[in-house]
Amino acid sequence: MSDEITTVKIGHKVPDFELTVYEPENHDFGKRSLADLKKAGKWTILFFYPADFTFV
Amino acid sequence: MGAELITVSTDTEFVHLAWKRDEKELADVKYAMGADPTGKVSRLFGVYDEGTGLALRGAFIISPDGTLFNSEVNFYNMGRNIDELMRKFKANLYLARKADEGCPSKWKDDGDKTLRPGPEMVGRVHEALND
Repeated sequence: MSDEITTVKIGHKVPDFELTVYEPENHDFGKRSLADLKKAGKWTILFFYPADFTFV
Repeated sequence: MGAELITVSTDTEFVHLAWKRDEKELADVKYAMGADPTGKVSRLFGVYDEGTGLALRGAFIISPDGTLFNSEVNFYNMGRNIDELMRKFKANLYLARKADEGCPSKWKDDGDKTLRPGPEMVGRVHEALND
């Protein structure tokens, strides 16, 4: 494991990350990065869950 | 409300599409569904379960300047309360405007009682909350 990731703490800056996403509204795939969301002046809410096809 | 909600699991974006298409409970979903098959983002937030390769139920609120303000992580078998997540989000918006105030646990929305920490409040929180 060469690139170890440190867990971000409350009150600290979150390092930039990018996710490939499915966008239901456009029925298309896309990208979301923290850098872009910050540039747009937006708050980001991340909602993790174990797996699709289960209850969330 | 100036926020972007992204749901994240370790499934790929293709599985997200298939799930959204098949599951009628998701008919109204508009938010972006994030794919984290490597677990990189899940690890960043401490919700990656190395034993299963899945993400625990975590919710995180990040401000527009990139600061992590809230986190909640539950084990697999406990759901999160969306009202509580929204309460925290609204409190963040309020406190971004009024940085010298504090939102107590029962704060729900603009206009509810807040606290202003200072010498007068030492030992007098009960009075501050109830006067």
